[in-house]
Amino acid sequence: MPSSLSKLRALSAAIVLLFAFAAPAAAQLSFKPTAEAVQEDKLLNALKEGDKISGRISIPDTMASSLIQPGGRDWRDFHRSKLPIIGGVAIIGMVALLAIFLMVRGRIRVEHGFAGTKILRFASFERFTHWLTASCFIVLALSGLNISFGRILILPLFGADAFSAMSTWAKYAHDYLAFPFMLGLIIMFLIWIKDNIPGKLDLLWIRQGGGILANGQHPPARRFNAGQKGIFWIVIIGGTLMSVSGWYLLFPYLPADVTTLQFWTVIHAVIAMLFIAAMLAHIYIGSVGMEGAFDAMGTGEVDLNWAKEHHSLWVEEEQAKGHAPSGTAPRAMPAE
Amino acid sequence: MKVFLAALVFAAITAVGVAIVLSAVQMPSYVAFSTGGARVGDPGNNLVGQDWNSTII
Repeated sequence: MPSSLSKLRALSAAIVLLFAFAAPAAAQLSFKPTAEAVQEDKLLNALKEGDKISGRISIPDTMASSLIQPGGRDWRDFHRSKLPIIGGVAIIGMVALLAIFLMVRGRIRVEHGFAGTKILRFASFERFTHWLTASCFIVLALSGLNISFGRILILPLFGADAFSAMSTWAKYAHDYLAFPFMLGLIIMFLIWIKDNIPGKLDLLWIRQGGGILANGQHPPARRFNAGQKGIFWIVIIGGTLMSVSGWYLLFPYLPADVTTLQFWTVIHAVIAMLFIAAMLAHIYIGSVGMEGAFDAMGTGEVDLNWAKEHHSLWVEEEQAKGHAPSGTAPRAMPAE
Repeated sequence: MKVFLAALVFAAITAVGVAIVLSAVQMPSYVAFSTGGARVGDPGNNLVGQDWNSTII
């Protein structure tokens, strides 16, 4: 009898244990692999920034081994939504600022009128370098903006066929004019670096707002004032960043890494927008904004009074070298 | 004006020169980045073909 009781107890324990372990097992059997496995969002969200799912390939294109890279979604989102906003604000904002400045300040005149005597501001080779870089920049800027805004602004106007043909040629122009642009940038750096080193005089120029905010103020400046030095360094630093990033875009297999390539495309796009905005200000002050300024890059010679007002120390240096006429009496200002 | 035009001509000549050199030096992507087994038919001229506007017969 005690033996039967112990057998009964053992059997009961076995049944309890059976239920205890069988319940989770039954739950596992009710799991539906196909319902849970194909959850792409869960899979992608599980990947951290910079992670990617890679496969093994035998073709020479190593970048083709990246099957899923969640960072690519952020990159695509940046190009589609954030970049047009950055570019729009930078470029339209700059145009608006310049228009307001022109309305409020008006065109900056030569205060003492034109002297009628000229002084050589830029030699032929300097102007050649400027126009080489500038003409390439304009084509690069327009063809680059077409990539960011063309689909929104131009495609509806001209239709798919014309837009496609134009974009194809714009892309060729963008790719190949990048090389003379880079060449111009290097020459520009070499020939103008010595006159563009920032100094104490530039602080004075900046404190006085360059003399462009109020009539009658002309802070002394050597060959390039602080504003022009600023433009020079924007061109050199911005142009270098555009060139390095553009090199990766021209030869996309150089980085051998999709994430690196995406990084440089973002740098290229953002710097481009800011660069274009800065150059709009440069074009404005060199043409419409300041009387007599365009001659510097147009003919190479500027009026002596213009030079005295904006680059007084440089004129003195040129006169001391015998490169410029001295002692010219300013003409009377025309009545306005 | 002469300097400006000279700069434009130089830019155009340099761009064309670079295009010619790069075209000569670089391999087409279907050669550089795929193996023969991965290519379908006539590389660069398969599927749609080079003339995308041709009438499909």
